[in-house]
Amino acid sequence: MKILVLGASGYLGMRLLDKLAATDWAQATGAARGRRNADGTTSHMRLDIRNLKALTHALNGYECVVNCVAGDFDSIANGAKTLVRAALDTKCRRIVHLSTMSVYGRTEGRVSEAALFDPQFGWYARAKCEAELHMTEFARNGGEVVILRPGCVFGSGSELWVGRIGRWLRAGRLGELGAAGDGWSNLVNVDDVCKAILAAMRLPGTQSGTLVFNLVAPDSPRWNDYFLDLALAIGATPVRRISARQLKIDSLLAGPPLKVAEKLLDKFGIQHRWLPDALPPSVARLWAQDIRLISQAATDVLALNWIRYEASLGECADWLRGCMVSG
Amino acid sequence: MITDANTVPRNACLYAEVCVIGSGAAGIALALTLSDKGKSVLLLEAGYDREDSRTQALYKGEVSNEKLHSPPDKYRQRRFGGSTPIWGGRCVPFDPIDFDTRSYVPFSGWPISYKDVSPFYPAANVWAEAGRCQYDADEVFGLASVPMIRGFVSPVVYTNSLERFSCPTNFSKRYRNRLQRAVNVRVMLGANCTAIRLQPNGQQVQGIDVATLSGNRFSVNAKMFALAVGGLETPRLLLASRDVSAAGIGNEYDVVGRYYLCHIAGSVGLLTIKGSTNVVRHGYEVAPDGVYCRRRLSLAPSEQRRLGLANMVARLHFSGIADPSHRNGVLSGLYLAKNLISYEYGKRLDDGGTATFATYLRHLRNVLTDPVDTSAFLLHWLTKHTYAERKFPSVILRNKTNRFALEINGEQIPQATSRVALIDATDELGVRRLRVDWRYSPLDIDSVRRTLDVFASEFERCNIGSFQYNRDALGEDLMRYGAFGGHHIGTARMGNDVRTSVVDANCKVHSVDNLFVAGSAVFPTSSQANPTLTIIALSLRLADHMARSLSDVVVSPTVAGLGQ
Repeated sequence: MKILVLGASGYLGMRLLDKLAATDWAQATGAARGRRNADGTTSHMRLDIRNLKALTHALNGYECVVNCVAGDFDSIANGAKTLVRAALDTKCRRIVHLSTMSVYGRTEGRVSEAALFDPQFGWYARAKCEAELHMTEFARNGGEVVILRPGCVFGSGSELWVGRIGRWLRAGRLGELGAAGDGWSNLVNVDDVCKAILAAMRLPGTQSGTLVFNLVAPDSPRWNDYFLDLALAIGATPVRRISARQLKIDSLLAGPPLKVAEKLLDKFGIQHRWLPDALPPSVARLWAQDIRLISQAATDVLALNWIRYEASLGECADWLRGCMVSG
Repeated sequence: MITDANTVPRNACLYAEVCVIGSGAAGIALALTLSDKGKSVLLLEAGYDREDSRTQALYKGEVSNEKLHSPPDKYRQRRFGGSTPIWGGRCVPFDPIDFDTRSYVPFSGWPISYKDVSPFYPAANVWAEAGRCQYDADEVFGLASVPMIRGFVSPVVYTNSLERFSCPTNFSKRYRNRLQRAVNVRVMLGANCTAIRLQPNGQQVQGIDVATLSGNRFSVNAKMFALAVGGLETPRLLLASRDVSAAGIGNEYDVVGRYYLCHIAGSVGLLTIKGSTNVVRHGYEVAPDGVYCRRRLSLAPSEQRRLGLANMVARLHFSGIADPSHRNGVLSGLYLAKNLISYEYGKRLDDGGTATFATYLRHLRNVLTDPVDTSAFLLHWLTKHTYAERKFPSVILRNKTNRFALEINGEQIPQATSRVALIDATDELGVRRLRVDWRYSPLDIDSVRRTLDVFASEFERCNIGSFQYNRDALGEDLMRYGAFGGHHIGTARMGNDVRTSVVDANCKVHSVDNLFVAGSAVFPTSSQANPTLTIIALSLRLADHMARSLSDVVVSPTVAGLGQ
């Protein structure tokens, strides 16, 4: 099967290409807008998903395309729209689209794939909801779409849910949050997401044309438990109790200026590893959100054998310790 | 959802799969765990978020001897969260020996073993925010850590058993959001259960009566009911509900309210340790998980069995606070501030003697002549306790002399004559009030005495110091403040024999199929440990059992016909 992976320079895209390369049935090519991968290497074709002509040209000859594109609203929402048009113009019959649990917005409780969208949650949720709607357009026109909605994708190399969490823990800015960390983490190992993508590529076609799956490890803990486990595993001890007031100050007062500083330094090409990571208010809100994804459909249909939380945690801790050693 | 009982239509009948009465540590852990298992729960709470004097007055009652036991409206709170807004946070699991039948402890022996409860302790620790379920100092701090007393290695007296401290967590604040959001939990505040109604055959709860202080009344029907109202209110409700069982529910053999236990507690003797002050670790340590921990002295179970002793622990403590001759500014400051501290925490700062004006002056002099320690203490207390989210648990003084009293927390031996019973006086809602007649026995004091003798002998054998105490005054020392407040245990005890117990191994009232008790009322023996952690663990176990049983319940027509 010839497969094009869009967003190949990102955390998930790179890992997926490695997995695909290890199969005997897939011929995969990566494409990304940026020149370099997250790890500094270059192995993909340069392609802007919003460029219909280029994308249509690139898609020729591929049976399946995986959309892992991240970035801004335009790249996510309009990129999806362009991808659908390009796929319809070629013989590419299947799109595996990486969506997110953010499409459920502020919803709380146990959430299956049938839950309603809540695009009012922020630009990211809105972009992802819009992207999914474009995907259903592809299905309505005869294409096959598998939409995957992972929770928080973690594992070795995950900056978002391991790297910066580890730094916050070491800096004493994160720890035990009480009610503010009571939400379910909905963590899913990046390798499980890759397995789900591989399974989605090979699923038999369906009449509806669209299949949707939540992706979360069933034994994923609450955020407080994850923070405590990770802190103990990497020796960020004693784990601190963070008050709701302190978390608010960190995320609402210190967060925005730190983010601005980070962007400015980026713009001028200045290294900023010394700069503390901004703690976005949206992330602090997520830690308290009592949303628990149900991933039974993925277990049943995609035949996923989820990586145990303890194993994922060990892998994350090893990676973090390695980062610490290498500076 | 959290609602007010005054919004329920008068004389309505509410329905849920499970009705949990009481929203303390037991009730909230039980309700939310049942909810996680997909069961619909109505959680009734008599109070509101804050303490209210009129609601609290419903707890008033009599005590046979106020020197031995506090009035029943003290050390417990009738409000959302139960008594967790005022608890001290000490978490300790029971020991395996506590569950055993011990010939030398009359009426000992649980129908379940430590192995039945231990799987629930890790989760109980999480509920109580007490960190990892690790209670061995070697495991938590490593073998290389400084021991409690350097050079003291005894095969029979252990020093590596830990107690851990919750924040202390106020369950209503901590779990409010979860209760609010859970789709299948309805919390009703201001809802006082005034009676449990049985079906005519006495084997099923038909419903319960609920009243508010504003005059609303309604009833609740459920497949199952759980009383999570504490060790005093549980027997009160059972005994006061007499429409079918004349002696009260579960009281066919006059066991409800009897075998009432607290802990034998007090500060005793003088332990003098040889060497420099840094050979002793008497205060709190912070575990890697961020939880305050403290080491205690305990007696090996084999030695307890050999000598026929009840379970007991001791902490290194400062000597009496009331006598200003200690010349310690911090202690004197505490003594002077005792009237500003709540009844529950101020009580043990007073030795019961009459302080003269001169005594107060001497305490004041101690404060003024010890400004460095006093200021350092105040600063530490403000930053690490008053304004800290995880609070430094209690006052610990700098060790200047290697001289300590031993603070005892001992198991009490059950006896049927120690009891709570109803009196004729009723509360504002018409429920009969309680009279508490807590008793201890000479066996309790003797057990502490002989345990202390083992400690003293081991200190001497290891040549680390000496322990002296007044053997004749031990009873007085241990009873100076009476029963350890807040630990209300054994009044609806668990057992296999209906003649000596109220509930079975699953906490179900023997004679009633759908009535359960969550809380320390079911403990047949008190252990050395504070009860809260085991209350939570047993509540989680009860939730498992109830959820499993509910899946098998055949709904009776009486229950099925009622709607909300």
